[in-house]
Amino acid sequence: MPRELDAPELERSYRLDRDPEARETVRRVAAEVLETMFFTEAEEAPCDHIWLEIASCARIRFEGSHFGEMLLGISVEAADPIAASFLGIEAEELTDALRGQMVEELANILCGAMLSQLWPASTLALTSPELSPWMSWPAEGTLHCCFATPEGRLAISIRLTSGRGLPGAVSAGARPLTE
Amino acid sequence: MAVNSLIVGISDCKVTRDTESVLVTYALGSCIAVAMHDPVSRASGLLHYMLPESAIDSQKAERNPYMFADTGIPRLIDAIRAAGGDGARVIVQLAGGAQVLDSQGVFQIGKRNYLAARKILWKAGILIAGEAVGGEVSRTTRLEVSTGRLWVREAGGTERELVRKHAPACTFAV
Amino acid sequence: MAYQVLIVDDSPVMRSFIRRVLRLSGFEVGECLEAANGEEALRQLSAHPVDVILTDINMPVMNGEELMRRLCADGILKKTPAVVISTDATNERIVRMIELGAQGYMSKPFSPEALREELERVLGERDAARA
Repeated sequence: MPRELDAPELERSYRLDRDPEARETVRRVAAEVLETMFFTEAEEAPCDHIWLEIASCARIRFEGSHFGEMLLGISVEAADPIAASFLGIEAEELTDALRGQMVEELANILCGAMLSQLWPASTLALTSPELSPWMSWPAEGTLHCCFATPEGRLAISIRLTSGRGLPGAVSAGARPLTE
Repeated sequence: MAVNSLIVGISDCKVTRDTESVLVTYALGSCIAVAMHDPVSRASGLLHYMLPESAIDSQKAERNPYMFADTGIPRLIDAIRAAGGDGARVIVQLAGGAQVLDSQGVFQIGKRNYLAARKILWKAGILIAGEAVGGEVSRTTRLEVSTGRLWVREAGGTERELVRKHAPACTFAV
Repeated sequence: MAYQVLIVDDSPVMRSFIRRVLRLSGFEVGECLEAANGEEALRQLSAHPVDVILTDINMPVMNGEELMRRLCADGILKKTPAVVISTDATNERIVRMIELGAQGYMSKPFSPEALREELERVLGERDAARA
């Protein structure tokens, strides 16, 4: 598993996006979460980001021994069946509010489980997740995975920031995730 | 000692209250067996399904709903209820869902079948009392109607009783 | 005898999931109270004693750890069994919550059956202690 780094060392050298163990953890946790509480499978799939423009998305931040944030996107066709599975209801019974709450809670579970497995010896606090449009973070430093489920697609981006507060804007020369 | 072996074939389902009977199904590779038993009325059922969703072939599902989880499991629940099974008492156990190379050359269908059962049972208001699922070997399972005991044998192994983790507790959704 | 339960989680859908597990598990549940954070939980508890508290950790206003600290400091409330249900499975947090008196810890994700088993264990121990 990724070794623990102190804050200055983290800033200097660690790249989450270049850590193969971190990517494997994200993959494994996404599959475990979706199977255990949402009764569906998630397998890593090639990235194709057009669908993210209208996807249901949630953003969640974390702080403590590591600062950063995570974005979750669920495709339009997947959000309702996945939410209905979790709640044990028919998709027709879903409201916009329930769907939004499910996306937020899925982001919460994914983020917490990923961080607990990436850095089990750390201290972490998660903010309340918020619905948010998908954001294309700079590829440098962002660990990004797309998944296919029988219902549709998921995307997860996670990145470390150097301290409290909002991360900086995409800097000149940085390559965004989507074209 | 039970004398009637009621064989449940692939894509098949049988329900009975005959306490002389044992419900048996063989060759559970990637398929799932759903066993239900009411310890008071002894209404017992065994479903053996092959695939998770009927939408892939609705004509087949119409001819044989027991081929699919989403058409088979609700019918098993209805049949148990019709046979006198009480939703609050029925014990549900699962077997099968192995990752084996099936006739379509697919490894993943075992897990998909298992997840389908869990999703449908959760929606129906049923928690699972025990399971013998996954792995890579085929299983045979038998349900004793008189006692509700479920026995599972893995290919090449010995038969063992699937021990229920707790007292019966489920409520069929209205 | 029916159990009175308090579910503390800022996610309405997670409270719904837990409520469903309680209902389907066969426990006789009397009142199932809910709170979205530790502060609301304390207000509920001041008016309604319960037999078990199921609490998340990361919540706004007052988090689960502070809630456990307040319960621990209360001569009466400290006797109410509490089960933590959280995404936080870091070592330090688990240890701290157990030290604050949590009698069970469920890391999300968990299956409905796993939560049922944990509740059976905690409520069984509670009933045995009171017998």
